[in-house]
Amino acid sequence: MTPTEEGLHPTKYPWVHEQWFKTFDHQALRRGFQVYREVCASCHSLSRIPYRSLVGTVLTADEAKALATENEYDTEPNDQGEIEQRPGKLSDYLPSPYKNDEAARFANNGALPPDLSLIVKARHGGCNYIFSLLTGYPEEPPAGASVGAGLNFNPYFPGTGIAMARVLYDGLVDYEDETPASTSQMAKDVVEFLNWAAEPEMDDRKRMGMKILVVTSVLFAVSIWVKRYKWAAIKSRKIVYNPPKDNTTTRF
Amino acid sequence: MGIWDAITDLVEAATPWTTADAEAPAQEEQQEETAETKEDESEKTEEATEEPAEEEEAEAEAEEEEEEEEEDEEEIVDPKEKFEEECRESKQCAPAKHHFDECVDRVTNASSSDGPKEDCVEEFFHLAHCATQCAAPKLWSVLK
Repeated sequence: MTPTEEGLHPTKYPWVHEQWFKTFDHQALRRGFQVYREVCASCHSLSRIPYRSLVGTVLTADEAKALATENEYDTEPNDQGEIEQRPGKLSDYLPSPYKNDEAARFANNGALPPDLSLIVKARHGGCNYIFSLLTGYPEEPPAGASVGAGLNFNPYFPGTGIAMARVLYDGLVDYEDETPASTSQMAKDVVEFLNWAAEPEMDDRKRMGMKILVVTSVLFAVSIWVKRYKWAAIKSRKIVYNPPKDNTTTRF
Repeated sequence: MGIWDAITDLVEAATPWTTADAEAPAQEEQQEETAETKEDESEKTEEATEEPAEEEEAEAEAEEEEEEEEEDEEEIVDPKEKFEEECRESKQCAPAKHHFDECVDRVTNASSSDGPKEDCVEEFFHLAHCATQCAAPKLWSVLK
């Protein structure tokens, strides 16, 4: 494969949440969800995330309920078998921008915007790739590069021709905590949010892993001590053989 | 990350009383305000002495708000582009930049003739790789 077909390998960024003893920055998750909702959600679905999972990690319970009621969902069939619409509940999943993949392709010139629920796990390079892709659009493609019709040049996308145009521009979003919304800040926040969407269990998993390491190391040390304690008598015994004194006489 | 950070994280994670709250934090400010207003009603005599202080506070708050507005009006500069531009010009990326510039010159001049088609994608990759690599730690020190 040529380097163009392969795409530029993303740079490794020092993500804090990827360190062993670090959790997601939930302030960043909140900002990232805002970016997803205001920017990405117009094309990309996040269909595996229910509102209830946002509670306690991204939004408060009241905020999540208010957000859920903004959308309508199908009810169970009523007495006449009709399906009506009801406001959303916490147990509902985030709405998708298109009814199905065909509608999404039709609206986007034949290109399907992928679902973002597991995108961090689904792409080689994970967080680094998505951050690089979002911020890596050059102002103009390098000299001589051929860009297909309806495509944009992005060095990180395999083949360098991507249907998605650059979407993040400085100051696109007004953060509620007044963080300056530069392109890279928005990209960083939304990538961390998408990492949370793909691995919502990460914080608990790391905590559980640490507990297990602590407990098993204590138990291992105890078991070593017990083994040595039990074997002490055997290991420290001394077997002595005193040969009988030389007897010239043999007894029979 | 120092060893003490790791240990404090371990302790925090192992303690059973660290819990995440799903509810919004209690609105203490409003309660305090209502309490103050009640106090004001009951203790009218003290109002005269308190008023000037309150006015000063209000003025200070107004000034702060104005400063914040001024900050908002400034255009946001993307730190990533700034750092990468610096890195591209730095000594570290000089070879990659030299090759890229040379390629751009060659391709733009040769475009009229019917020679083999060349593009500068590979040179661009090398330059971008060098610049992002150099800018990554600086960028993360600036971003929240």
